[in-house]
Amino acid sequence: MLGLATGPICLASCGPVVLPWMLVQPRGVRVHARQLSIFLAARLAGYLLFAALIWFAGLAISRSWTGRSWVFGSVQVALAAGLLIYAVAWPHAGCAFRHTHRNRLVHIGAPPDPRPRPTGAAALGFLTGINLCPPFLVAGVRAAQLPSLPAALLFFAVFFVGTAVWFTPFLSLGVVRRTPSFLTVARLAAVLLACWYGFSGASLLIEKAIYG
Amino acid sequence: MASPALARPRTPAPPFRSIGRSILLTLPMALWALLMFTPSFQQHGRNSHIGAVAVILFMTTLFFLMMRTGKTYRWRRYFFVALGFLFPVGFIAALVALRGTMSIPIERMVSGDTPFCFMVTPMLLIPAAFTRTVIFPGSILPTASNPHSIAIMIGIWSAMTLVVGKAWCSYICFFGGIEEGFAAFPKHMKIRRLDPRLRLVPWAILLFVVVLSAALFEPVYCMWLCPFKTVTEYPAVHSVETAIQMGIFITLFAGLVVVLPFLTKKRTQCAYFCPFGAFQSLFNKINLFEIRFDREKCVDCTLCRTACPTQALSAESIRDGKTLLNCMKCGACVDSCKKDAAVWHLKGTKVALKPERARLLFLYGAWAMATMFGGSILANSVATMIGFLPFK
Ligand code: SF4
Ligand code: SF4
Repeated sequence: MLGLATGPICLASCGPVVLPWMLVQPRGVRVHARQLSIFLAARLAGYLLFAALIWFAGLAISRSWTGRSWVFGSVQVALAAGLLIYAVAWPHAGCAFRHTHRNRLVHIGAPPDPRPRPTGAAALGFLTGINLCPPFLVAGVRAAQLPSLPAALLFFAVFFVGTAVWFTPFLSLGVVRRTPSFLTVARLAAVLLACWYGFSGASLLIEKAIYG
Repeated sequence: MASPALARPRTPAPPFRSIGRSILLTLPMALWALLMFTPSFQQHGRNSHIGAVAVILFMTTLFFLMMRTGKTYRWRRYFFVALGFLFPVGFIAALVALRGTMSIPIERMVSGDTPFCFMVTPMLLIPAAFTRTVIFPGSILPTASNPHSIAIMIGIWSAMTLVVGKAWCSYICFFGGIEEGFAAFPKHMKIRRLDPRLRLVPWAILLFVVVLSAALFEPVYCMWLCPFKTVTEYPAVHSVETAIQMGIFITLFAGLVVVLPFLTKKRTQCAYFCPFGAFQSLFNKINLFEIRFDREKCVDCTLCRTACPTQALSAESIRDGKTLLNCMKCGACVDSCKKDAAVWHLKGTKVALKPERARLLFLYGAWAMATMFGGSILANSVATMIGFLPFK
């Protein structure tokens, strides 16, 4: 119930990552379903890892503002890097660093790879899974109070199912035609969002480093 | 020796319409302007009366000239630039009179005293749909300290968008007028080649601000990206974050609204940045008026493309006889076309059959809106400036 109730907020929190990512996928509901499933599975893995950690650490992480800021800041910086690598350099994510041509932007409208690799969806899904958004923290507090580790894991798994329902509308993006202009817009938006995550994460980390 | 072409005496182009017919066609707009400003005559002081009379004369004269010469862009620009440059005068004067400063303190935001700006509209949609929350520190209904409430401004925007569509950007938006002014100063372009893909950037910024505003529950554009905060109101600088925000606002304003329009003679902020402009382009789909190209007359001279202030024309679009989605119906392309190939068009009718009729119908709607909205802003600013004069 918690997952269902906080779904819109989860959607809003993960939207800045999922939306540009899905928009740079090739057209087709099946491709979208596959990518979204990988994304959600990786997100579940992130949830379960967090559930285990939080259960072992008690309420320490979710209550300690300092600890949370380090995690939050680092995850945001990693999300920025993930968005840049997988949404912008994609479909040649692997070569992104080896082939940083001067005219990279020329290829920003290049057609998407018809058979996208799962790494991007998995990396972004995992990172959003451990991103400490407000609903996630509420669930964390509840999980930490549970008597056993399996109970905490189960709680997070059910919480995940509740929130995952809200992601299904993203499948409809599969029917939208991918023109070069459309892809350029999606990739530019991904760059802007990556800048935002990078800026926000870096400011959190700098603030913590200076003020403790 | 002068070439025969140069030696030939210049004959002025004949007027498009007779004076009598032009006056006749201007009459409805003159009456509309009078009607709009009747409340000013009944309520306010002498300065407001002078402002109202000046604006009625100004708007009516410009409309008459549009009728007489058949040119649109040339005369509309006087109004639009005046609106752009005078809006901040009245707005800042009102802010300073109300709270003594242009900056808005955090307490005023919390109490919902921020005047609503139409730029926020697309950012409100997702949070309002999912959580029934308005993510703007203004009040829904007008209050004594904030008459520019969300409901009033959204109402004005909806009505005007219905009538003019994307022409909002060339008849209503005071911000666009500032750029148009700076673009009008130089005689020639200093930078000629601009990558046409830049026109996709506003769409990316629109996607960015809409998604992030929903995630952060705050109007991201206003907090971080609005160049016009520089000449309207900005959050009081009290931290590193607010100082960075202010730095971004000033840099964007200087670059996109002053320097680049001056160098390119284009409205660079509108064409390559404004997310609201991109959002407004969507309404071109439902608006009745558009610009079309008569392929039989067009000689592909590219005069219209050079004249377009927002790169709303491409070689392919002209070949297809259409503009791109971001056309704001300013009329520059029609005015510049020497072959009468660029024409105003009413959707559903045959292209180039009665272009002047389409232009007239469009102009009556657009100019009426411009007089109602922009006219009242101009009148208010003129009255404010008269108040500054040292003599009574
Ligand atoms: S593009 Fe934006 S700033 Fe320019 S006129 Fe339109 S709404 Fe105003
Ligand atoms: S296409 Fe013509 S009417 Fe449209 S914005 Fe460009 S110059 Fe103005």
